[in-house]
Amino acid sequence: MNEINEKSELRKIRIQSIKRNFNLFKQSKIGILGLVIVFIFGFLALLQPFLFMTNIWDEATYHPVVGYDSQKILATVVSCKDIEYPTPEYKTPSDCPAADEVNIVAVAPYNPGIKEGDVIEQFIQPAPPSSKHILGTDSLGRDVFSQLMEGSQVAFVLGLLSAIVGVGISTLLGTIAAYFGGTVDAYLMRQSDLVLMLPTLPLLFIISAFAELKVWHLALVLGIFGGLGGSVITIKSQALQVKVKPFVDSARITGGSRMKILTSHILPNVAPLALLYMVFSVTGAIASESILSFLGLLNIDMSWGLMISVAQADGYINQGMEYWWLVIPAGLAVTLLAGGFYLVGRGLDDVFNPRLRRR
Amino acid sequence: MVVVFFLFLIISYLLFDAIPGNAFQNLLLNPSLPPYAYEETIALYGLDQPLSVRLQKYIVNFFKGDLGYSYIQFPKTAIELIGERLPRTLMLFSVVNILAFYTGFFVGKVLAWRRGSKSETWITITSVFSYTVFYPWFALLMLWFFGLKMGWVPIGKFLTPNKWYDSPFDSDEVFLEMIKYMVIFSLIYFVISILTKEIESLTQRRNIRLGSFFGLIVISNFYWNTGVLSDMRFYAGDIAYHTILPVLTVTVVAFAGTALLTRTTMMEVLKDDYILTARAKGLSQKRIRDRHAARTALLPVVTSFIFTIVTIIDGSVLTETIFSWPGMGQLILDSVLREDIPVAMATFSFIGVFALIAHFLADVSYAFLDPRIRIKSQG
Repeated sequence: MNEINEKSELRKIRIQSIKRNFNLFKQSKIGILGLVIVFIFGFLALLQPFLFMTNIWDEATYHPVVGYDSQKILATVVSCKDIEYPTPEYKTPSDCPAADEVNIVAVAPYNPGIKEGDVIEQFIQPAPPSSKHILGTDSLGRDVFSQLMEGSQVAFVLGLLSAIVGVGISTLLGTIAAYFGGTVDAYLMRQSDLVLMLPTLPLLFIISAFAELKVWHLALVLGIFGGLGGSVITIKSQALQVKVKPFVDSARITGGSRMKILTSHILPNVAPLALLYMVFSVTGAIASESILSFLGLLNIDMSWGLMISVAQADGYINQGMEYWWLVIPAGLAVTLLAGGFYLVGRGLDDVFNPRLRRR
Repeated sequence: MVVVFFLFLIISYLLFDAIPGNAFQNLLLNPSLPPYAYEETIALYGLDQPLSVRLQKYIVNFFKGDLGYSYIQFPKTAIELIGERLPRTLMLFSVVNILAFYTGFFVGKVLAWRRGSKSETWITITSVFSYTVFYPWFALLMLWFFGLKMGWVPIGKFLTPNKWYDSPFDSDEVFLEMIKYMVIFSLIYFVISILTKEIESLTQRRNIRLGSFFGLIVISNFYWNTGVLSDMRFYAGDIAYHTILPVLTVTVVAFAGTALLTRTTMMEVLKDDYILTARAKGLSQKRIRDRHAARTALLPVVTSFIFTIVTIIDGSVLTETIFSWPGMGQLILDSVLREDIPVAMATFSFIGVFALIAHFLADVSYAFLDPRIRIKSQG
């Protein structure tokens, strides 16, 4: 009876402290902004499988990798010659052919006997945004919005997996280093010095040279390197501060075993800092994934980095804003999601670090 | 430190050794390599011997600076290639770092000082944006806007080939001359700022520093008019013209990290009692901000800045790939992609040496900047 009461008391205290911390978190505007961004992308990531399952989206049209759809228009055949501009119809050379026209040079090889003034059916790829394709289609006729959703799934899986792996490792090693000290500590510190020294991107290049990197491989690699690096040092210093607190001494005097002290006294007090690190490392992981898939070193069907890579390889980035739906969404998505996680981290920082609070 | 370095060398060798198949089998397939190069490479790396001997040979060779021929650019050795590429990367990124550090520190200082105002929120959001921006995308957009749309700057590359067609100089020669000039210039300016450190009045100090800066520019104008340099000026200008866009892009991305960190540390410092004391003494706002708060906040910023040098090397890979700047980053990406193992190995190890030196500098500068550590080590 008494025990049950104690447990419900404990739960109440926990809920109260979560509420109090959330109220603190709400005070920082940027933290809320970040949370909203993260939720929007999470919603996008979950929406795509839902749309496919309920058959609102047809897989043949909207699949991010193998879907195909192109806009059909009727175009007038004209001929654009190397003459002086402006002419009565066109102002500059880039205005010819206009939106509903097609240059005879481009279609003549496939349509023998065609002449100026004919009207033929044309497929537009990449097609601009329309009601069917909210963000248009890419150069292979695939829906950009669907690709964006697929990319956010990849980003979430990779970011969260690598962050959990990394923080798990660094929290464990950091507390062990602080608690046991001596040789273990010295060894772990040298090890994180070494990992800090390794240049991440070149290292990932080399790894990708001899192994086909899949997303979850990359997540593991990023997690392990993130977890062995600098965060061990920070978490160790936090754990050292906890270790000298009186309650750890009293736990030891009352006969708590080492494991018990580590798990139930030191770890919970290091956890906030670890959570903070986790959120920040998601930012780095998302950026690394995008960079690797941008450079084509990742074995992956679709991701934000790959979308930009395709747009660059096809030369649409140098066309600038004319094909904005190929250029802007993917890059902005990487930036926004990484920034969102960063802002959440900043908000949490305000909660856990009392020196940063305004009052 | 030394142990860490040896561990790094061993790991980097094992990493390359673990590449499936024989990592050196490219040698056999490459027809442009003469037989003697093939034999020399095998002897150099001890490829017909067991792992322990190979490892030992690699480490010895690394300190001798003899890492064999490049497979792709054959007559050149790996070390020659690095010697050619390293100054370019160093120059680009030291300029960027100095710019980024100063702008970042300044912005962060102002942000913390104006806490709670509307401009603070907006500038913070902008700096978070440029801190987390997807770098290749941003660089490509900059390239498109300034290079293609506006046409103000060249799109990538190190120099304009037609201008150099009948040039009497080698591009590296000119470039080294430029580096020499930059080093002298910044050293003189550094000495001036140290000499003027003790001046009490803030406006007077600023005026002296600005005046001497413009004076130095006038003097350097004369400097570039003397002797061989007056012929080189045209070519040096061409290289400088090509550095504008990369420097601008990387600075915009790199300053944000410093700015955000300065903001955080400065906010912590502003809570301290001695700031309240300074306010109570009636010191001017600017003096409190620059002399009292900012100097204390500088410490962790400098340390973390030096730690990010490794990250900067990472970033250099992307910058150099996108702007076609022939530096270390491009070298390592190329050599890994085309399996030019000796060059890839040498570059990777060199980057490690770099990082090691950076960490050492971080430790030293920490002791130099923080009087508390200095006093402890003396007493």
